[in-house]
Amino acid sequence: MCLKMAPADVHQCPRCGSAMHLRKSDSIQRTLALLITACLLYIPANLYPVMYTDSLGSAEGTTIMGGVVLLINLGSAPVALVIFIFSVMVPSAKLMAMFYLVWSVQQQSSLDLRKRSTLYRITEFVGKWSMVDIFVVTILVALVQLGGILMIKPGIAALLFAGVVIITMIAAENFDSRLIWDNMEEKNSAN
Amino acid sequence: MGNEIACQSCDLLVNVAATKHGESASCPRCGCFLTRCYDDTTRRVLAYSSAGLMFLVFASSYSFLSLSKSGVESNITLLQTPAALWSYGMPEVGALVAAFIIVIPATVLAMMAALCILINQGRYHSWLVPLAKGIFLGQQWSMVEVFIIAVIVAMVKIAAMATVVIGISFWAYAAFTVCFTLAVSSLDRYQCWERIEALRAQ
Repeated sequence: MCLKMAPADVHQCPRCGSAMHLRKSDSIQRTLALLITACLLYIPANLYPVMYTDSLGSAEGTTIMGGVVLLINLGSAPVALVIFIFSVMVPSAKLMAMFYLVWSVQQQSSLDLRKRSTLYRITEFVGKWSMVDIFVVTILVALVQLGGILMIKPGIAALLFAGVVIITMIAAENFDSRLIWDNMEEKNSAN
Repeated sequence: MGNEIACQSCDLLVNVAATKHGESASCPRCGCFLTRCYDDTTRRVLAYSSAGLMFLVFASSYSFLSLSKSGVESNITLLQTPAALWSYGMPEVGALVAAFIIVIPATVLAMMAALCILINQGRYHSWLVPLAKGIFLGQQWSMVEVFIIAVIVAMVKIAAMATVVIGISFWAYAAFTVCFTLAVSSLDRYQCWERIEALRAQ
């Protein structure tokens, strides 16, 4: 927590009082459990609509991918790209990257250590940017309230998708990147 | 031992004693950022965080965005944005959004200002440790910059359907985002804890 180094047999940090462990406890199990939860939530999050557009009495639901297609049809390709990257590519790439990292630690691989470390830091950094779509829905729901002419209502997928983003953030938090390097140190000391 | 950091990413021990004002150190093995050194950290952070808090007050008191189509107009403030989700039966999402864009960032800034004032007094105070812990925990969960991007995306999305006008609160919130980012990046975790410990040792 506070980057203080203390002898390995001390269990409470002398500086900030947090509980101390050499490695985060049960890192792999916790990360895997959260990842699987996120995967399960991810399926309905993409199938159900994130919002309903109610224009002159006819309501229409849009899914996350549907929103991207709609933006392309409206002629705003750059914004469509932003939404596509943050709400489609980032969450799925992040899930795959985390599964790969957990798997490679389990395999006790000592290849590409630096690259895997970088991959972990990118997944950790990029996590919160997936919330963009949730915030967009929030703003639209609050702003677009023009009585019978135009109304936007939130859909159930907004909740599910927010769940996916938060759970993957916690999963990345629980993963201990030092495990990547531990294998190398063990192999070096065995030789 | 006092000048060594165990890299958070790979646990390599690195000596950072030679880091001077304005310089930063990263891990030689895995490339992870370690620390950045400023001699005037507390003054910088205090300035940015108090400015940020003032901008946030402005941002929540005036119109954030407004929308009009065929004579009908709708106006929202910053605080009404998450509240709308609440009224549509999604209190969880509304509460999360409010926490990520307003509550957590504001709390972090207030705690940063308090921490800097206490450190500047030059003696140890029992609030320093909980304040620092709260700051570094809260930082990971604030999404102010993400919200700014979301506002831009939302405006493009509705621009085709109705006329959007950006209110003065949006600009105040953008300034708040800049101050928040500067404050967070100026307060270095390692240097902050070293400072607290130095005060305690006195």
